[in-house]
Amino acid sequence: MTNMFASLGTWNWLIFGFILMALEVLAPGVFLFWLGLAALLVGLISFAVAVSWQIQLVMFAVFAVATVPLWRRLARPKPDASTSPFLNKRTEALLGREFTLEKPIIDGSGTVRIGDTVWRVAGPDTPAGTRVKVVQVDGANLTVAAA
Amino acid sequence: MSGFDIFAIVLVLLVIVTLVAGVKTVPQGYDWTIERFGKYTQTLSPGLNLIVPYFDRVGRKINMMEQVIDIPEQEVITKDNATVTVDGVAFYQVFDAAKASYEVANLNQAITVLTMTNIRSVMGSMDLDQVLSHRDEINERLLRVVDAAVSPWGVKVNRIEIKDIVPPADLVEAMGRQMKAERVKRADILAAEGQRQSEILRAEGAKQGQILQAEGRREAAFRDAEARERLAEAEAKATQAVSEAISKGDVAALNYFIADKYIKAFGQFAEAPNQKIIMLPVEATSMLGSLAGIGEIAKATFGESAASAAAARRPGSVPPTGGTPPAVPPRQG
Repeated sequence: MTNMFASLGTWNWLIFGFILMALEVLAPGVFLFWLGLAALLVGLISFAVAVSWQIQLVMFAVFAVATVPLWRRLARPKPDASTSPFLNKRTEALLGREFTLEKPIIDGSGTVRIGDTVWRVAGPDTPAGTRVKVVQVDGANLTVAAA
Repeated sequence: MSGFDIFAIVLVLLVIVTLVAGVKTVPQGYDWTIERFGKYTQTLSPGLNLIVPYFDRVGRKINMMEQVIDIPEQEVITKDNATVTVDGVAFYQVFDAAKASYEVANLNQAITVLTMTNIRSVMGSMDLDQVLSHRDEINERLLRVVDAAVSPWGVKVNRIEIKDIVPPADLVEAMGRQMKAERVKRADILAAEGQRQSEILRAEGAKQGQILQAEGRREAAFRDAEARERLAEAEAKATQAVSEAISKGDVAALNYFIADKYIKAFGQFAEAPNQKIIMLPVEATSMLGSLAGIGEIAKATFGESAASAAAARRPGSVPPTGGTPPAVPPRQG
C-alpha cells in the first residue's frame, strides 16, 4: 500500500483531489470540494517543482486555508442571486404591502387577514377597517402603520 | 520519521478538522442556531457560512418550512353532554429560529397539547348540532387562540382544521332515524299538499265551467229578447205598412193575399209525407168572401170575360177552407 503510494508520487495528489471533489457530491456541505482543489494545486506544483512530501503536506494545509476567501466571495449573496428571494421568508415578502385591519389595534396589537390565515400585527392604535401598511417585520411579528 | 514529518501530518489533519468545523453549509429550508460556549449568538441562514471553530458550535437545526402536526384523537364533551371523538391537523411555520429553539422545550408537543386543550374548550361551549355544522367557526376560533399563544415562540400557526368528528354509534343511529323521520314527514306533507292543490284546482274548474254556462245562458236570453224585440218591431212596421197600404188602396187586395196564403198552406198539408185525414170545417162564407175578393180583382184587372171563365172553374176546384190562416207566425219564447 505504502509502496504503491510512494511509486505513484505526485499523481497521488491529483487522484486524492479528484476523489475529494467526487465525495463532495455524495456528502455535500462538508468542505471536501475545496480540499480537493487544494490537493490538485499541490499536485500541479509538485509536477513543476520537485519538493519533499512533508513540504507538499504543508502546502496542502496552506492552500486549504487559502481557499476560504475564494468561496466566501462565491457565497456572498447577490440581490438577484436567487429566483425566489423570499423562500422561507414569508414575512419579508409582506414588507410594504397594504392590508385592511380586521380587528382594531388596541394596546399595540390587532389582526389582519392575509391569504386565508390571520396575522397579528403591532402598531399604533387604529380602528378596524383602516388600510395599513407593513413597515417592519421581525420573525412572525408584523409592524404596521396607517397607509 | 522525523519531527517535521509528524508535524506536517498533524498540521494537515488540524487544518482539515478546523475547516470542517468552521465551514457550515446550511441547506435551504433550515436555519441553524450557533452557540458560543453554549450561549446563543447567531442564526445561520441557508448557504455557506463561516463560524469560529472550537468556540462556536451548531446548536439546533430548525426547519423553517411549514409543517403539519397531526392532532391525535380525543374525546370531547359538548355543551349538551354528547361525547364525540375529534381529531385534526395543525399547520405551523417557524419564523424565528432562535425563539423556537430556546423559548420552548418541545415545540411540536407544545403546539399539539395547546391545540388539544383548545379544541376541548371551543367544542365544550357548543351544542352537538353546532359542532357538526360550524366547523369553519371552530377552526377560526382555534386558530386565533393558538396563534396568539404560540407567538412568543417565534412560530405562526397558519391553520387548524378539525378532521373527523365522530359521535358515538347509538347517537349516529338516532340521528339517522331523525333524518329519516324528517324526510318521511316532508314526503307526507308534500303528498297532502298535492291532494289539496288538485282538489282546489278541480273545484275551480267546475266553478269556472258553471259560470261560463250561466253566462252563456244569460247571453242567449239577452239575444232571444233582442230577437223578439226586433221581430215585434218588424211586425209593427209590416202591419203599419199593410194598414197604410190598405188605407191607401183597396180591401180587395188584402183579401187576395189571404186567399193566396191559405191555399199555399193547404197545399203544404197535402204534400206532407205522413198519412193524414184532414178535417176541415166548412165555412163557406169566408171562402166565398175570399173568392169574391179574387173575383173582384179579376174583374177589375181582366174585364168581364176572364171573370166569367173563373166563375166557370169555381165549383170543386178550390177546397173549402175554415177560417182565415194567421197572417203572422206565432210568437216564440
